[in-house]
Amino acid sequence: MSEEMEPKLLNNTMSRKGFVAMTGAAGLAAFLAACGGSSDSSSDSVNEAQADGVTAEEAAAGGSFDPATEPDGPIEVFTWAGYDNSPEEGAPWMWSEYEDGPYGTKSPLKWTFLEDDGQALSKVASGYSPDISHPCIAYTVQWKEAGLIQPLDLKLLPDFDGVPTAISAGAVIDGVPYMVPFDVGFSCLTYDADVVNFDNVGGKESWEILLDDTYKGKMSIFSDDVAIIKIGQLINEGAVDPNVMTTEQIAAAKETALKIKPNLRNYWTSQTDTVNDFVNGNLVATYTWPDGYWKIKNHPKMKDRNIKYMQPIQGRLAWVCGMVLSSATKQPGRASLAMAAANTPSAGAGLTDYFQYASAQQKGVMELIQNKELIAAFDIDKPEAWEPPNAWFEAPLPNYREYITAGQEVKAA
Amino acid sequence: MATAAQEPKAPLKRSRRETRNDGGSALSTYGLLAPMLIVLGLFFLAPLYYILLFSIALRRFSPTEALAALNGELNGFTTELWSKLVGVDVIVKLPGIDLTVPTMVVALIFIVLLLLAVSGGRISKDRGGWIVGIAFLLLLAPFLTLPAGNNLLRIMSLSSEGDSLRLFFKSVSMAMTSSVIAVIIAIPVAYFLAFCVGKSKYTWMLIVIAPFLTSYLLRVFAWKVILGDQGLINSGLMAVGLVDEAAPLTFLIYSQFTVIVVLTYAWVPFICLPIFLSFETIDRRLLEAAMDLGATRWQAFRKISLPIIAPGIVAAFLFVFIPSIGEYITPTLVGGTQGTMYGQSLASQFVGGAFNWQYGSVMALFLLGVVLLLTFATSRFLRSGAGGNL
Repeated sequence: MSEEMEPKLLNNTMSRKGFVAMTGAAGLAAFLAACGGSSDSSSDSVNEAQADGVTAEEAAAGGSFDPATEPDGPIEVFTWAGYDNSPEEGAPWMWSEYEDGPYGTKSPLKWTFLEDDGQALSKVASGYSPDISHPCIAYTVQWKEAGLIQPLDLKLLPDFDGVPTAISAGAVIDGVPYMVPFDVGFSCLTYDADVVNFDNVGGKESWEILLDDTYKGKMSIFSDDVAIIKIGQLINEGAVDPNVMTTEQIAAAKETALKIKPNLRNYWTSQTDTVNDFVNGNLVATYTWPDGYWKIKNHPKMKDRNIKYMQPIQGRLAWVCGMVLSSATKQPGRASLAMAAANTPSAGAGLTDYFQYASAQQKGVMELIQNKELIAAFDIDKPEAWEPPNAWFEAPLPNYREYITAGQEVKAA
Repeated sequence: MATAAQEPKAPLKRSRRETRNDGGSALSTYGLLAPMLIVLGLFFLAPLYYILLFSIALRRFSPTEALAALNGELNGFTTELWSKLVGVDVIVKLPGIDLTVPTMVVALIFIVLLLLAVSGGRISKDRGGWIVGIAFLLLLAPFLTLPAGNNLLRIMSLSSEGDSLRLFFKSVSMAMTSSVIAVIIAIPVAYFLAFCVGKSKYTWMLIVIAPFLTSYLLRVFAWKVILGDQGLINSGLMAVGLVDEAAPLTFLIYSQFTVIVVLTYAWVPFICLPIFLSFETIDRRLLEAAMDLGATRWQAFRKISLPIIAPGIVAAFLFVFIPSIGEYITPTLVGGTQGTMYGQSLASQFVGGAFNWQYGSVMALFLLGVVLLLTFATSRFLRSGAGGNL
């Protein structure tokens, strides 16, 4: 975070536009710091982050909870599929510190799953009230403005300072932290390089492949309204920040998205579905997160195929998601402890080992990652891979309603 | 001398006690109805009341200003939202000219035709079936494409801004197709149950409704296995050499076709029941008499059975058609980019990230209005006795 921006945040005077600009810059800075190269350099970045960590004023501005005085009862976590504590399909290593702790049995964790950010926010806005939710950082402003989340109590989050300020700043609003940033990753096309070539779109990996009707009916993208429009924008404008779009650009991106639509097999709502479609031969290119790519690449049916994760000339899309605390929870302290369990270095390393994501937590995480191959495969040690124009991090969208309306219209057309 | 038995009996006067008993009986009847009325009130009328109020912006759903802002609540009337939904033009392609007609005019013609069909008057009795047919044709017209020489002719279309309405018509078209196919499949099955299997008919009935023993979601996913590029059908066709392995039939999955197939499959067992019950009401002696008089089986079916079971057929059609227009699950799972339906767009206004509850309410109310109109028209149509003219 730049020096001139931080005081504005603390003084509550930053405009929405300024906030967007700040988080856009944070996206770049985040991975210079967060993904900082080898183990050594990551340690350096962690130290820097700790030095820059959330200020005392910010910490003081947060909540203050006492888990011991809170009532017993389940803590409901509204998260993405796969982040629950199921030993077979989930991520029990994420929550073990909480479950083995003093409140693990008195306030056991319960799970519900979200499909995408828009659906999660609108579900909670319409009355559903989990204790912890797991949105992406770009939506934190909307969650906060709708009064759905409350400030964190950093005293209950001992590893919070391992998250570089550049990342956590995206969820610090009016000087108060609202999210424990957790998982970080790309969104891009996984494709079968034995089948797909980019000759018709200039010979280089490009989002324009979605316009190539050679692969009509064999491609798929995520059913996220914002992503649909951002892809249209990247195709139209090239490597230009898709978080900042005018009404005219959104309209043009919508037209491009409409041209893409006939080539798509579907807009997927579950990554598992699209992975299955791919490995069963129904798709040759599909939008996935890193874990989707890894599952396809390592699927037995794909062992003789040349599966690649596209690095388009316009840049990949990228995201940071994290845990927020419901304003309606009766157990904010215990919920904070559960969030703290997901914020430990070992949980951060698990994100790479089990999900092939990067982690917002940086304190010693590189050393804990067991499968070092993944660090290279997903450029976790290459900061430049996470910077524009190679990647575009999600940022709060002041005109998000325009993005969503356009995306909806594409799907309905 | 007339005996007491032969004397005409005076009309019985009801005693006070009997009246009280009647009152008690009425009370107990209402008591029996009470659970249903409570359920209806809580789970249908109350939400409907809120949707109605919300769709015309008379009150707020969201408890706070911030949530109201997030959910896109307006402070005024929702005329602009209604206009967004229905304020589009229908373009009728006539030879040499494109005629632009406001949707409301087409809707008015549709309603007048329906009311004509259900009025119970002479036109209704003589031509009721035709009028209903024309009314439904009008509802489908924006999506009908007729062969014209070597080209295909779209006789009506909606102006470009009518995305939601276009989606509605598309859903009507898909729902109607699956309803008609489901009814056509269900009639012989019901006939078989009613006339061909004797005492074991209820065993057969259980077999017919056996799919309901499994979760709907599982059944839909099973179709993905059957219709996928590497699925049962494509693999079978590839095995016998009818389809090239490199070019499977892709329209089988993630298309309008898939949605129609799955909806039809899902509803056929359900609508066998009303058609079966209609067949059960047929006096077998009528059929025997027809055969004795030289009618073929088809003639007996056409002249005797069909008019009698017509109400059952219409009811069965509505059983499929009404829920199918607003379908959400099936098109989401197997619809792909081309099989999107109105119900998905409606749901997305509330829980899909569109943050537009009021537009969602407007869409819901519009759907409800059409469904109520069709239900009312159908019930009047059947009561008018015009069903026999189908």
